[in-house]
Amino acid sequence: MDAGLIAIGAGLAVGLAGIGSAIAEKDIGAAAVGAMAEDEKLFGKGLILTVIPETIVIFGLVMGILLWTSMGQFAP
Amino acid sequence: MLLPEEITKILIVGSKDKLKETIDVLFSVESVHPIDFSSEEEGFSLGSPLPVASEASVKLLKLRALEKDMELEAPEGNETVEVSRIERDLDSAMATLTGEITAAAAEKNALLAKVHDLENLRNQLEPFATLPIDLEMYRGYSSLVVFTGPVKMSPQEELAKTLKSYEFYISSDEKFVALFVAKAEVGEAQRILVQNGFNELPAPQGKGSPEQAIANTDSEIVALKAKVDAAEGKIAELREKYQSFVVASDEELSIRVEKAELPLRMGTTRHAFVLDAWVPAKSVASLEKALGERIGKDCHLEVLETVPRRTHIHPEEAQVGATKEHVLEEPPTKLSPGKTVGHFSFLTELISIPKYNEIDPTNILSITFPIFFGLMVGDVAYGVAFMALGLLGLSKCKSQEWRTIATMLFFGGIWATLFGIVLFGEAFGMHFGPQWVAEGGISMEALKALYPLGNELSWSSLLGTPLPDIGYLSKLHDVKLLLFITIFIGVAHLSLGYVLGIYNKNKQHGAKDAFFEKVGWLMMLIGLFLIMLYLVDIMIQPIGWMGFPLLEFYIYIGLALMIPGLIVAYIGEGGGAILELPSLLSNILSYTRLAAIGMSKAGMALAFNMIAIEMLAPEGGVMIIFAILVFMVGHLTILVLAVISAGLHSVRLHYVELFTKFYVGGGMKFSPLRIVRKYTTER
Repeated sequence: MDAGLIAIGAGLAVGLAGIGSAIAEKDIGAAAVGAMAEDEKLFGKGLILTVIPETIVIFGLVMGILLWTSMGQFAP
Repeated sequence: MLLPEEITKILIVGSKDKLKETIDVLFSVESVHPIDFSSEEEGFSLGSPLPVASEASVKLLKLRALEKDMELEAPEGNETVEVSRIERDLDSAMATLTGEITAAAAEKNALLAKVHDLENLRNQLEPFATLPIDLEMYRGYSSLVVFTGPVKMSPQEELAKTLKSYEFYISSDEKFVALFVAKAEVGEAQRILVQNGFNELPAPQGKGSPEQAIANTDSEIVALKAKVDAAEGKIAELREKYQSFVVASDEELSIRVEKAELPLRMGTTRHAFVLDAWVPAKSVASLEKALGERIGKDCHLEVLETVPRRTHIHPEEAQVGATKEHVLEEPPTKLSPGKTVGHFSFLTELISIPKYNEIDPTNILSITFPIFFGLMVGDVAYGVAFMALGLLGLSKCKSQEWRTIATMLFFGGIWATLFGIVLFGEAFGMHFGPQWVAEGGISMEALKALYPLGNELSWSSLLGTPLPDIGYLSKLHDVKLLLFITIFIGVAHLSLGYVLGIYNKNKQHGAKDAFFEKVGWLMMLIGLFLIMLYLVDIMIQPIGWMGFPLLEFYIYIGLALMIPGLIVAYIGEGGGAILELPSLLSNILSYTRLAAIGMSKAGMALAFNMIAIEMLAPEGGVMIIFAILVFMVGHLTILVLAVISAGLHSVRLHYVELFTKFYVGGGMKFSPLRIVRKYTTER
């Protein structure tokens, strides 16, 4: 039971964090493409700005992994 | 090596008589970056192009027009033409070409115009072919008026009701009509037609049935098109014959114009010229020598100053000679990376060109980028594939972007192979040695005795013979440890960034600024890292066995570094430093993607291997083919994803995490006067 709840929690951590960074990246990405359409040299800067929120999902993943590895203690 | 090359500002003054020769020398040394003359200086006016410019420009214009007529595209081959031959033959060749090409092109254009007219006529005739009337019947009446044209609806019934003397024809689809009506009833007829959406389309000139006329036009068009082909053939023949010469002449004339227009960047008086320029410090002597040898006393080179790296002078440090200009004028950046490192400079230039007084980050990027890439891939099979792809790309590709990617793949592949053998000991996501996973109630020793080749898929179990278990870690089983290691890598990488930042700031603004702007942050980084270690030990998993000295005091040491560090940064940067503090933590944790991406690759590989080897292959027969297909397609997918994810994330770690610690960018690229000959050779 506990192991199952932990697994759900780990899944939520990764999934929700992924949605969060996706929402953030969506807006920045659209703006970056718009800027690039005006000046192609902005590709590098646009890429940097677009990938900044990616760290959020990494946090989620780290939490997910920590939860997942602690599942063993509660396994039936 | 780390910093861009030292640049000296020079001033070249000379007699206008020797201007042309001087320009030749400046172009030949390939190390002079001219500064545009600002017309503020008194007594000087902006130079005007050499007389040869206008002549060459006129010729170039004519030549370009010819090229257009010839439909010439830059040829690929490496055929070159001697400059002396161009000088000798250009005028006569252009006269011949103008004659032949212009004539052929004019003929072709005239023919095309005729074809166009005929096609128009044919389009006009087409609707008339739907009516059974010969063309000459549409005109030449004195008491009748003829209306022809398309309608939206058939006016037949209304016409029959209203008109008395008329003749009406309509096409079978009721879209096109011809009405012959007595002059007395013209008004009435016109009204009815217009109400039915009539548009007048007069009948074309001609005789006989419209079908016949269309057939005649068609055959004429075919005949004309054959002539157009012949004319095109003639142009192609001329193009084949003259193409290399024309392209070479174009290049030579462009070079002449470029050289002759250099005075537009100079200041001139009636008899003299003056040019400011940036020259790499080490090339000044050779430039001076070249000018001395080829121009002699009519030209003088004055070395103004070798630009210091310092951009900001504190009042207390002000020295004699440190003027305001140091702040105002920034020299261009001449990077001098080695050949291999140079391939990576594309990645740096994607962000910005480094400034004159900062470290070229390409040096660091070219070392750590492939290591990160390799760590994320960490598999012998993929590594070897990347190496092969990289080598293939380097031998085939010409464009800079693809060469950069090929270099990335090659060096990344080397590291991936190394990590795959030494650290992970796996290929295609499977370990070499036998693998055991715990099964309920059985001790590890019993498990090993029971399954000598392991109870999990590995190369040993696949080949049926125990292979040595090389490698220390498993991407999927040692996740926590890998995350922990990547945090160390992150802190080391970020510290390197701050150390480079200290170096840059020290060069640019002096030790005081370097201390307040960068040292404080370095202290906070290390302090935060020590606190993290302490927290991991007490909250997540004891790490004392790894042998950290004084682990229980890390929280105090960490705070002792962080708090003074924060104060230093606060003095240096203001309140923003406090707000920025959490970003340090996110920067460090960002490096855990090194483990996470390796893990996701390993997870995908595991899934494909299980489907192919454990589920499909044992079925035998056709399933073996499916198994091979799944295996190949699956691993190919992972390979492609690895380029995208490992490559992009490795780039990102550099751009976002590392570069922000020391790199400013925004420099101007050193672009010296030089001549690049592709289709011509001198002497």
